[in-house]
Amino acid sequence: MTTNRRQFIGTLGAASALIAAPSVLRAQSQGVFRIGALCPVTGAGAPYGSGMQKMIIAAAEIVNAAGGAAGRKIEVVSEDTQTSPQAGVLAAKKLIDVNKVQAILGTWSSGVSLAVLPLTNDANIILMNTSGAPALSVPPANAKGLSYRFQATNDRFGRAFAEICVKEGFKRPATMAFNNASGIGNTEGFRKAWEAKGNKVVESVVYEPNQASYRSELQKVLAANPDVIVTGSYLSDTTIIMREWFQSGQPVKWIIPGWAANPDLVKATGPEVVEGVISVDSISNETAPSFKAYADVYQKVTGQSGQSNIFSAMTWDMVHALALAIEAAGSTETAAINAKIREVSNPEGTKVYSYAEGKEALKKGKINFEGASSVLDFDQYGDVSPSFGVFFIEGGKLNRRYVVNI
Amino acid sequence: MEAYLVAIGIIALIYVLLSLGLTLQYGLTGLINFGHVGFFAIGAYASALLVLNGAPFIVGFAAAALLAGVAAWPIGLVSLRLRDDYFAIVTLGFSEVVRIVLTSERWLTNGVQGIPGIPRLYPSLGGATGQIATFATILAVTVFAAWMIRRIARSPFGRIIEAIRDNEEAVQALGKDPPRFKIQVLVVGAALAGIAGAFYAHYITYIVPEQYIPLVTFYVWMAIIMGGVGRVSGAVIGSVILMVFLEGSRFIRDVVPGISEVDMASVRIGLVGLLLILFIIYRPQGLMGDYTKR
Repeated sequence: MTTNRRQFIGTLGAASALIAAPSVLRAQSQGVFRIGALCPVTGAGAPYGSGMQKMIIAAAEIVNAAGGAAGRKIEVVSEDTQTSPQAGVLAAKKLIDVNKVQAILGTWSSGVSLAVLPLTNDANIILMNTSGAPALSVPPANAKGLSYRFQATNDRFGRAFAEICVKEGFKRPATMAFNNASGIGNTEGFRKAWEAKGNKVVESVVYEPNQASYRSELQKVLAANPDVIVTGSYLSDTTIIMREWFQSGQPVKWIIPGWAANPDLVKATGPEVVEGVISVDSISNETAPSFKAYADVYQKVTGQSGQSNIFSAMTWDMVHALALAIEAAGSTETAAINAKIREVSNPEGTKVYSYAEGKEALKKGKINFEGASSVLDFDQYGDVSPSFGVFFIEGGKLNRRYVVNI
Repeated sequence: MEAYLVAIGIIALIYVLLSLGLTLQYGLTGLINFGHVGFFAIGAYASALLVLNGAPFIVGFAAAALLAGVAAWPIGLVSLRLRDDYFAIVTLGFSEVVRIVLTSERWLTNGVQGIPGIPRLYPSLGGATGQIATFATILAVTVFAAWMIRRIARSPFGRIIEAIRDNEEAVQALGKDPPRFKIQVLVVGAALAGIAGAFYAHYITYIVPEQYIPLVTFYVWMAIIMGGVGRVSGAVIGSVILMVFLEGSRFIRDVVPGISEVDMASVRIGLVGLLLILFIIYRPQGLMGDYTKR
C-alpha cells in the first residue's frame, strides 16, 4: 500500500464526515415521541439484551397501532450499552444529544444505570431500568425522581427474608453471600431489616465465585450454630453448598432466593437434600392477560418462551407505563409525564392489561395498569414493590405456602 | 451533537493520557506493561474516595498520581530484573490483584456495589458549561503531559532509555544501571495512568471494580500500535482513531439500510474488529510510523 500519511489522514477525515453527516440532518421531527432503547445487546447482559430491545420495539408498535400516545407516534432509537458504563455513557449521550430522545428505557446492569442516570437527570428526561442496586433509589442518583426501576431490589428480597424469619420463628440466622452486588445486596438487606427488629445475625460469610468446594465457608457458618442460613446465591454454587451441607449432617434450615432454589436445584441435588428449603421469589404476573399478550409477541419475535427472559417482560411494561402516562398527561413534557406514571400504574382505578384498553379507560377515569413482569406498583422511590411468594420444597416439589408483602 | 462530541473528546483524551504513559514505558523504554489498568484503577479510587470525603479536587488528583506512582515502584523493584515477557506476566497479574483487592476491601471501596455519586469537576458550572470546562482541563493536562514526554524523549535521560530498549547489555557495559531508569519510567507512566483514572472517576461518576478489566489495557495497546509505537503523536492519533472506530460505528445505521435495530449492535462490534484488522494489515507500522524499528 503506497498511501502516505497525509492522504491517509485525509481519507480518515472524509470517512468520519460521511459517517457523521446524516445525523446532522436528523432534527427533531414533530408528531413523534422519541424513546431510546439502551439495552445490553453485547457483553455480560447479552443473553437478555436483544430480547429486551426487541420487546421495546414491539411494544412501541402496539402503542402506535392503537393510535399512539397523546396523538403522537412512539419512535424507538436503539443503542447498545455493551454492558459497560463507559460505552453506556457515550451511547446515552448520543441518544440525548444527537437523536433528541425524550426518555431512555432498558438499562440493565447497575453500573450502567448509575452512570447513565446523571446524564438523563441533566437532560431532564425519564430513565427506566431493571437494575438491582439500592443506590439507584435515593439521591444523589435519583435526585430528581425521574428514575423508575422495574425489578425488585436486592434489598427488598432481603427484607422479605427477614419477614419470613419472624414468621417461622427463627432466632439465630446466619448469612452466606456470593461476592457480587446482587448476592451481597440480598444478605445486607436481610441484615439491616433483621437488626432493625432488634435481633442479631450470628455469622456472615461472603464467598468468591467459581469454587469447586465451599466447605471452609460452610464450616465457618455452621460453627456459629445458626438455626437458619439465609443466602444470596446462584444455582451452581448453591448446588455445591447444599451437597456439602447435607454431608455434614448438621440440622439447619435454609432461605434461598428463587433463581437459585428452583426445580433445577432439586434435579441437581436430589429431593432429599433440599427437603424443607424455603425458596423466595417475586411473583411475576404470569396469570394476567398482560403476561399472555407479552409472551405471545415474544414467542413470535424470538421463537422462545416468554418466561425465559423476565427482563424483556419488564421492558415491555416500560413502554406501556410510559405511553399510558403520556396519554394521561396529554403532553410530552417530562414533568407532566412523570407526574402521571404512578397514577396510571398504581392501585385506585380500573385494572387494565393492554395499551388499547388503558387508553379507552382513561377517558372515563383513573386506571391501574397491571404489567407482565409484576402488578407494577411504584413506591415513592420509583421502585416496583412486588409481592414475594414463599415456597417450601417438599418431596421435590415447590409448594407455595404464603405471600409476603413488603 | 456538540455535547456528544465533547463527551467523545473527554473519553478520547483519557485514553490519550493512558497511551502517553504506555508510550513512555513501551515505546521509548521497551517495557511490556500489560497491567496499565491497575494504575488507572488506583487513581480512580484514590481521587473518588478523597473527594467524596471532602478533599478538594486538586488533592484528589495529586493523590491519584502519587498513589499510582508509588504502587508502580515495588513492582519495578521485584520484577524489572526479569526478562521482558516475564515482566508482562507480572504486570498483568498486578492489575488483577488490584481489581480483587478493590472487590474484597469493602470497608473502603464498597466492594462489588461500587461507589456512586462521585462529584463531577466544576459542580458549580452545571451541565453543558461544566462539560466544556472539564474538556478544557483534561486537554490542558494532556498537552502538558505530551510536552513533558517529548522533553523526556529528547533529553539525555531519553537517549538512555531508548538505548535500553534497543540494547540493554550495551547500556550496562557502558556503566549505566538499566533497572534504575526502568523504575523511574514505570513510576512516571503509572502516575499518568493515575491522573487518567481520576478524570475517569469524576466524569463517569460511578466506579466499580468490574470496570477495571484487562480489556482497558488492551484498548490502550491498540491505540498506541495503531498510532505508531514510540511517538508522542502516535499515542494521540491512535487514541483518536480508536474512538472514531468505536463511536463512529454507531452511525453506520444511517448509511447502511436493511439491518434491524437489534442486529446492528452486533454488526457494529464486528465492524470495529474488521476495521482494526484492516488497519493493522495495511498500516502495520501505525499511522505515524513505528520508531522502535528504525
